[in-house]
Amino acid sequence: MSDDARVARAERGAQLAALLSRIALGDQRAFADLYRQAGAHLYGVALRIVRDGPLAEEILQEAFVSVWHHAGTYDAAKSQPITWLTSIVRNRCLDQLRKRDLDTVTLSRDAEDISPAWDAPSDGPTPIELLLAGADARAVRDCIDGLDAGPKQAIALAFFQGLSHGELAAHLREPLGTVKSWVRRGLERLRGCLDAAGVVR
Amino acid sequence: MNLSRSDRRARLDRLAAEFALGTSPPRVRRRLAAIARRDRTVAAALSAWERRIAVLAAAVPAVTPPPRVWRAIVTRLGLDPEGASTASLGWWQHLGFWRAFATASFVAAVALGLAEWRRAPEGPAAPLVVVLAGPDAKAALIATATRGDRYLTLKTIGNAAPPPGKAFELWALPQSGVPQALGMIPPGGLVRVPLVNPVEETLSSIPALAVSLEPPGGSPTGKPTGPVLYSGAIERMY
Repeated sequence: MSDDARVARAERGAQLAALLSRIALGDQRAFADLYRQAGAHLYGVALRIVRDGPLAEEILQEAFVSVWHHAGTYDAAKSQPITWLTSIVRNRCLDQLRKRDLDTVTLSRDAEDISPAWDAPSDGPTPIELLLAGADARAVRDCIDGLDAGPKQAIALAFFQGLSHGELAAHLREPLGTVKSWVRRGLERLRGCLDAAGVVR
Repeated sequence: MNLSRSDRRARLDRLAAEFALGTSPPRVRRRLAAIARRDRTVAAALSAWERRIAVLAAAVPAVTPPPRVWRAIVTRLGLDPEGASTASLGWWQHLGFWRAFATASFVAAVALGLAEWRRAPEGPAAPLVVVLAGPDAKAALIATATRGDRYLTLKTIGNAAPPPGKAFELWALPQSGVPQALGMIPPGGLVRVPLVNPVEETLSSIPALAVSLEPPGGSPTGKPTGPVLYSGAIERMY
C-alpha cells in the first residue's frame, strides 16, 4: 500500500475515533454521522453472516444501541475503530447463529456460495469502504483467493458461521485432523499475505 | 512440555489464530482468555490475530440498510430524531468544537483572565494555566497548578455559578477517547479541586479541560451528562 493510502486511512480512522469519543459524551449528531459512515459496511457484514434481512436489521440496531451506551469503552490504543465496530456486529451475529440448530438449512449451501459473497463487487464505495477498501479490500480478497479450496472453505465457514473445528469437520464431511490442518495452513498463509500487503497494523 | 522458544512462539501463534477465528474449543478459549489477562505476550498475540481476522470483513460488500433501521435505533434510545439526523445540537455543544475552541479562545481569554489571575492570592507563578471560557469567548474560570500539586486551584471570573440544584464538574479532555472526571468544583470564588496524583501526571497527555453542568453529586454515568459550558486549552509553562 502506498504511503498516501496509509495516511488517508489513518486520518479516517482518527475521524471515526473522534466520533466515538463524541458519542461517549452523548453527542447525537456524532452518532448519526457514525451510522452514515459505518452503517452500510456493518449491515453488509451482518447480512452476509446471518443471511436474513430482518435479523440483520435487528442486529445492526442492537449493535448501534450498544455503541451508544458503550462508546466510552472503545480504546484507540487497542484497535482501529472499524475493527472494534465490526467485531461487535460479528459477535452478535455469531450469537444468533449459535441459537439456531447448527446442522440444518442455514449451512447446507454454504460450501458452494462462499466465493461469490466475498468476491461480489459492491454498488459503490461508502466512506467506510474507502477506509478499509480500495487497495485494502482488493488485497484482502487477493489473500483469500490465494488460499487452496479446502482451507478457504474452512476459514470462510468459521468466519461467517462461527463453526468450531468439530462442527467444520461434520459440515465439510472431512476428518477432524484434515479440517484442523486446513485451518492452520490457511491461517498461516493468510498471515503472511495480509502482513506483506500491509493491511493489518 | 519441553519446547524450544521458537516452538512455543509458533504454538502460541497458532492458538491465537484459532482463538480469533473462533474455531478453538470453548475450554481452550476460556483458558487462553484467562492467561491473556495476566500475560502480555499472549495478549499481544491474540490482539494481532483479532486484527488480521477482522480485516476479512473488509472484503464483504457494503449494503445500505433500509431507513427503518435508523428510525428504530433513534426511537429505542429515545433520541431527538431531529437532533440525531442533521442539524440538531448547536454547533457549540460539540466536543470537537470545544477541543478546537479551547485552543483558539486561550489567546483571547488570556488577555481578560491572566491579569486577574496574577492578582489571585495564590502566591508564586503557576506553571500550568487553563482559562475556561464559554462560547462567547469570555473567561469564566481560571485553573492553575504548580508541578507537584495534588489539586487544581480554580478562580471564578465574573459571575459563573451553577443554577440552584446543579453543580459544575471538571473534566480532562484527552485528544481522543472519553473525558475523564477530575472532580466537582465546590462553590466559591477561589476553590480547590483535589487530585489523586500530582497534576503533571494527571494531565500529562491531556490538552484541554472542560466544565459541565451536573447533578450535585456529579455525573451519574461517569461521562458528562449535562451541557459542556466552558472549556480551555492547558498551557504549560514548564
